Amino acid sequence: MKIVVCVKQVAVLGDEVEFTDDARDVDPDFLDASLNEWDSYATEEALRIRENAGSDGDEIVVVSVGDGDVEPAMRRCLAMGADRATRIDHSGSRDPITIARLLAPVVNAESPDLVFCGVQSSDAVQAATGTALAELLDLARVAVVTRIELDTGARRATVHRELEGGLVDVTEVDTPALLTIQTGINQPRYATLRAIKQAEQEPIQLVAAGEEGEPAYRVRRMFAPPKGEGAELLDGSAADIARRIAGIVQERLK
Amino acid sequence: MSETLIVAEHLRGAMRDVTGELVTAARLLGNPVAVAVIARDPSRLEVTYEGVDEIVGVPVEQAEFENDVYQHALEALIAERQPEVVLLGFTVNSMGYGPAVAAKLDLGFASDVHGLALDGEAVIATRSFYGGKVDAELEFPEGRPVLLLIRPTAFAPAPSGGSPSTSAFSVEVPSSRARHVDFREAAVGDVDITTADFLLSIGRGVGEQDAIPQFERLAEKLGAVLSVSRPLVDAGWMPNARQVGQSGKTVKPKVYLALGISGAVQHLAGMKTSGTIIAVNTDPEAAIFNVAHYGAVADLFDVADELEKLS
Amino acid sequence: MARDPKYDILFEPIQLGPKTMKNRFYQIPHCNGFGSEKPLSQAYFRAMKAEGGYGACCTEYCSISPESDDTHRVSARLWDDEDVKNLSVMCEMLHEHGALAAAELWYGGPHAPCMESRSVPRGPSQIPSDFEYLTYAKEMDKDDIREVQQLYVDAAIRAREAGFDIVYVYGSHSYLPQQFLTPYYNKRTDEYGGSFENRARFWRETIEQVREAVGDDTAIAVRMSCDMFMGDAGTQLERDCLPFVELCDEIVDVWDINVSGISEWGEDATPSRFYPSGRLLPWQEAVKKVAKKPVLGVGRFTSPDLMVDAINSGKLDIIATCRPSISDPFLPKKIDEGRLDDIRECIGCNICISRWEIGGPPVICTQNATAGEEYRRGWHPEKFDTAENADNDVLVVGAGPAGMECAMILGKRGMRRVHLVEAADDMGGIMRWIPQLPGLGEWARVVNYRKIQIDKLRNVEFIPGTTLDANGVKEYGAEIVVIATGGYWVGDGLNGCTHDTIPGADASQPWCLTPEQIMRDGKDVPGARVVVIDNDGYFMGVSLAEKLASEGKKVTLMTHLGHIAPYMHFTLEAPNQHRKLHKLGVDIVTSHMPSRIEQGAVVATHVFDEDGHEQTWEADAVVLVTQRRSNEALYRELKDSVGFDTLRGEGITACYRIGDCEAPRLIADCVFSGHRLAREIDSENPEVPKPFIRERRVIERELAAV
Repeated sequence: MKIVVCVKQVAVLGDEVEFTDDARDVDPDFLDASLNEWDSYATEEALRIRENAGSDGDEIVVVSVGDGDVEPAMRRCLAMGADRATRIDHSGSRDPITIARLLAPVVNAESPDLVFCGVQSSDAVQAATGTALAELLDLARVAVVTRIELDTGARRATVHRELEGGLVDVTEVDTPALLTIQTGINQPRYATLRAIKQAEQEPIQLVAAGEEGEPAYRVRRMFAPPKGEGAELLDGSAADIARRIAGIVQERLK
Repeated sequence: MSETLIVAEHLRGAMRDVTGELVTAARLLGNPVAVAVIARDPSRLEVTYEGVDEIVGVPVEQAEFENDVYQHALEALIAERQPEVVLLGFTVNSMGYGPAVAAKLDLGFASDVHGLALDGEAVIATRSFYGGKVDAELEFPEGRPVLLLIRPTAFAPAPSGGSPSTSAFSVEVPSSRARHVDFREAAVGDVDITTADFLLSIGRGVGEQDAIPQFERLAEKLGAVLSVSRPLVDAGWMPNARQVGQSGKTVKPKVYLALGISGAVQHLAGMKTSGTIIAVNTDPEAAIFNVAHYGAVADLFDVADELEKLS
Repeated sequence: MARDPKYDILFEPIQLGPKTMKNRFYQIPHCNGFGSEKPLSQAYFRAMKAEGGYGACCTEYCSISPESDDTHRVSARLWDDEDVKNLSVMCEMLHEHGALAAAELWYGGPHAPCMESRSVPRGPSQIPSDFEYLTYAKEMDKDDIREVQQLYVDAAIRAREAGFDIVYVYGSHSYLPQQFLTPYYNKRTDEYGGSFENRARFWRETIEQVREAVGDDTAIAVRMSCDMFMGDAGTQLERDCLPFVELCDEIVDVWDINVSGISEWGEDATPSRFYPSGRLLPWQEAVKKVAKKPVLGVGRFTSPDLMVDAINSGKLDIIATCRPSISDPFLPKKIDEGRLDDIRECIGCNICISRWEIGGPPVICTQNATAGEEYRRGWHPEKFDTAENADNDVLVVGAGPAGMECAMILGKRGMRRVHLVEAADDMGGIMRWIPQLPGLGEWARVVNYRKIQIDKLRNVEFIPGTTLDANGVKEYGAEIVVIATGGYWVGDGLNGCTHDTIPGADASQPWCLTPEQIMRDGKDVPGARVVVIDNDGYFMGVSLAEKLASEGKKVTLMTHLGHIAPYMHFTLEAPNQHRKLHKLGVDIVTSHMPSRIEQGAVVATHVFDEDGHEQTWEADAVVLVTQRRSNEALYRELKDSVGFDTLRGEGITACYRIGDCEAPRLIADCVFSGHRLAREIDSENPEVPKPFIRERRVIERELAAV
C-alpha cells in the first residue's frame, strides 16, 4: 500500500510584524517556520496504518510545495518514519487551488492508495487544498477525519467525520481516497536524534512545478487587524483582579 | 445572471444559523440573493430570511450531507444560473465540497472570509493570515464566479421575513463515493456547557493535566461550569463535550470567564457572543482581549488562587 | 521590541536631593554575603543590576564601626580607608552603567554581637537583644551619643569618598536610630527618651549632622520601619512614624519605608507562602501622603503592572526591589524592551535570605543560578558564549528543575540539538506538585519561566510522555547524555537520625504514605488521625501537615530535632508557619524519634531519654518525610551494566548526571547543578566543577620542592 501525505511548512508570526514594501505580505524577517501541526497528525496516521497492517512493503511518501526553505518540515516527517520526500519547487501564489494544481500531477504519478492532507494549515487556515486536490485527482474524499478503519479487501474505508459540536458522521468512502486529517486523531510520535540525523542525510527529490493556472485570489493589501476597543483593563494585584472579577460576575448573574 | 447564490447549511432536518449569516453577507453585494436547499425534502427546511429573493429547492436521494452530492448539485446550479458569487459557510460540510467545485470550475476562491465589500463591481473579501495575526484584502479573477466560504458568526444573521419566490431544480448525481452511514453523538459529558449561565473556561495556559482539578474546584466554588479550549481536548485531558469552539460547542452564557486562553479564531467563534466576557492571560496581545469586555494581564494561577480564597 | 507606553512612568528620572536617578528602579539595600572583604564579588554582583537597568543599587547594611560587627552574618564595612578602596570598585562599576550607588550606614547596637571585633556596642538602654540574647549594649550617655553620631558622620564622609551618591541613616529592622524611636528599646528618662520628640531626637540629630557633612553633594536616605507589630511597645505608624516623616522631611532626600522589627522581619521580606506582592503598600501610601520628598519601598514586585499602579495611585515614587532583583537583575531592561515573558520572576522562597540568616555563605537564588556567581565564576545571566563543542546533540533525561535548566542553558549556548525527554506529560518534575502545597503557588514560576524559554529556543525540543531505559538512551543518537532523573522520598523510614529504616515503615501499605504518593499519585490518606514523621527539617513535613489539617485531619507532626522545620527560621517562614499549624490544631512533637510503626500507631522515644521509654501515638495514617534518595537506577545501569565504553561505541562521548539523581538537594541547587554543567559542557572535564575565584589574600612564597 502506498500513502502519500501532503505537508506544509507553515510560517509562524511572532509578536512583531512589519509588511513588505508593497504591503501585500509580511516581511519574511519576522517569520519563523515549522511543520504544520495537522500534517504531523496526518503523517502519524499514515505511520500507524502501516504499523497496524504489519506490512513492511508499504510506502509512505511526503510531498510538499515550496522553495528549499520548506525542506526542514519534510525532514521532520522523514524522521518520524516516512520513506521518501518530494518537493515541488515553487515560490509563486500560495492559494489553495494553485497548490492543489501543482500537487496533482506529482501525487498522481505515485498512484497512491490513500492521500492524506491536514484539514488546514495553522497559518493560512484555508482548509481547502486537500479537497481541491482530491477533485483534481478525481479521488473520493472525506474532509475533517478523526478516525479511519480500512477495509482494503472491500476497497473502502469507514471514517469518522467530525462535525461542529463534536457530532460524528460515520462515513463509508470508496478507496483510493483522499482524507483530510483532523488534530486529535492520534498522538504524533517524536523523532529521536538518531532518526533526525538520518533524515538529514536523506535526499529529497526535487521536481519542477507544472501548470499553475491562474491564482484563485490575489492579495490586494495586507495589514494589521484593528484592535478591539472593548476590553476594560482590570489592574492591580491578583487579589485586586479577583475581587473585581467576583464583583462583575455577581452583577451579571443577577 | 448577476446573482449571489447561497447553499443552505442544514443538519438533521434543521437549518443552521450560518445560513442566515450568509444572507447578510450576500446582501452586501447588492445582487439578487438565491438560496439553494439541497436535501431529500427541501420544502421542509425553513428559509425565512429578509433579503432572500429566491429559494431553489434541489431534491436529492440522500438523507444527509454527502460531498459528491453537494458538489454535483452546486456545479449544476452554477452552470445553469451563472451566479457572480457563491457563498457557503466555512463549515465542515463545505470543506468537503466547496474547494472541489472551485478547482473543477477554476473559480475565484477564498475561505474563512470575515469581511466582504464591493470595489466598483469587484468583490473584495477580507480574511486573516499568519494564524490570525494579520488581515488581507483579496481580489479575484475577472470573468468567472467567485466561491467564498464565510466564517460563521462573522456576520449577523439576517432578520426573519422576506417573501422569496421558490423554484425547483433537479439534478442527477451519478455516484456518491463517500456515503453517510450513521451519526454518533459526541461522548456525552456529565454536563451540557451550552445551557450554563456561567462558564469558567480554561486553555493551554493551565499547562498540564494536573492543574485541571484546581480549576474544577474553582468552577464549583464559583458556581460555574468548566469548559475548555481545543488543546485540552486534543491532549485527552478533557472530553470534547466540554470544548468551546468551532469544532466544539458554541456557547452564549451570561458570563464567560476565560483563564489562559489566547483566543484562537476557532475558539472565539464559539463564545464571542457571550453576554460578558472576562479574560485573564499573561500575553497582553492575546486575541481574546479583542472580544473580551474585561481583561486582566495577569498570571491565571495567581488570579485563580485569589478567586478561590474569595469564594 | 518596544516598551509598552503604559510602563513609561517607570522610566522617568527623579530627583533625589542633589542627585538624579535615571528611572524608578531601585535595588534596595540587601545582603549578598560579600561585604567589603570580597570587593569584586560585591562589585560585580551589584553592577549586574545596573547593567540590567537599575537606576540605583545599594550595598547591604554597611557597618560604620567595629562596634557594629554582625559576625557571623556578613555586612559591608566602612571602618577605614581600605574599606573605602574596596567599596569604591562597586561605585565605579555602577557609575559606568549610569546607576547611582547607595551605602546603607548601619549601627546595630545590641543586635550586633561583635564576635570578630570583640568591641562593645552602645545602645539607648541596657537590655539584651531580643534575638542575640547574650549581647548587651553599653547604655549611652551624652558623650556616647555624640561619639556615635560622629561615627555616622565619619562613615558618611568615607562613603562619599568611595563614590557613593546616596548615604542612609538606617534604622529599619530595629537598628540604633529606630531603637531610640521605639519604647521597646528605649527606656531613657533624659531628653532622648519618653516623648515622641525625645525619642526622635537621636535620629533627627544624626540625620542633620550627616546632612551637614555630605548633604550638599550626596543624597540623604532614611530607612524606617513604620510598624513593628508590637503594639504600643513598638514603632507605630500614627504615633511615631508619620510624625517623624513630618519632622524630618526637610532634611531627608528620600524615604525608604518598610515594616517590622528584626526578630520577625519575614513581615517585611514577605515569603510568597504567606503574602502576595505589594504587602507594604498601605504603609508606603500613608507615608507618601505626608512626605514631600520621594518615597520608595519594596514589596516583592515582579509585575510591571503592579509597579505602575503603585506609582500612579500615589503609593510610591520609586519601585524598590530586593529579591526580584536577585532572581532577575535585568527586570528593568526586559520591561523596557517589551520582553515581559523573559522576566525570571521571584518566587518568594527566601532561599537567598536564608544564606544570610545562616551567616557566612554567599547569596543563592532558586530562579537565578548566576546570583552570586557573577565574579567568582564569571557567569552573566543574559550572556552565553557558544560552546566549543556546540557541534553536538545532547539528550537530557528528565525535565525537573535541573534538567530544564540544563537544557535551557545548553540551548542558549548553541548546542546543535538538545532533546529534553520527560516521562510525565509535561515539564516540571517535582516542581509540578510542590507548588500545589499550601501557599506555594508562586513556586510554579520555576517551571513557567523555563517552559517559555525552552519553547522559544529553536534548538531545544521538549519530548514528553517518553520513558527511556538504558537501551533507549544508548540508541537515542545523542553525543552527550545528561541524566536528570530526580529523587524520591523513601518509603521505609530511612533517616538521618538513626541512619536506619524505621521498623514497620512500608509505604506500599495503604496507611503508610510518602509525599509523592500524596501529592503526585493522589494516594488516599485514610482515616482521621495522621502522624507526619519529619526528619527532613525544611518545608515538606510542615506543608503536608498544614494541607492535611486543613482538609480536616487531626495531625501530629513529629521530629527528632529540637524544632520543627528549623530551616524555615532562616527563610523567615517559621513564625507564620507555626501560627498556621497552631490555628489548625496540629500537635507538634519535637525531640522524638519513632522506634517502630505499625498499622494504627507510631511508637516513639525521646531522643535524650537514655532509658528509651516508649510512647504511643495513635494514627490511621503515617506520612514518612524521613529522607530522600536519588533515582539513580538509569545512570547506574548506563555506567555499570552498559558501560561508558559501550556508550562511546555508540557515539556517546559523555554521560553526566545532575540534580537530585546525583544527590538530593535544595531546588536552588538542582537548578544550579543543571546550569553549571551547561556552562562548563565544553571544559576539559565537565563532571568536575571548574575552580571558582576565592577572594582571599595569598602570601607569595617559594614553596619547597616536593
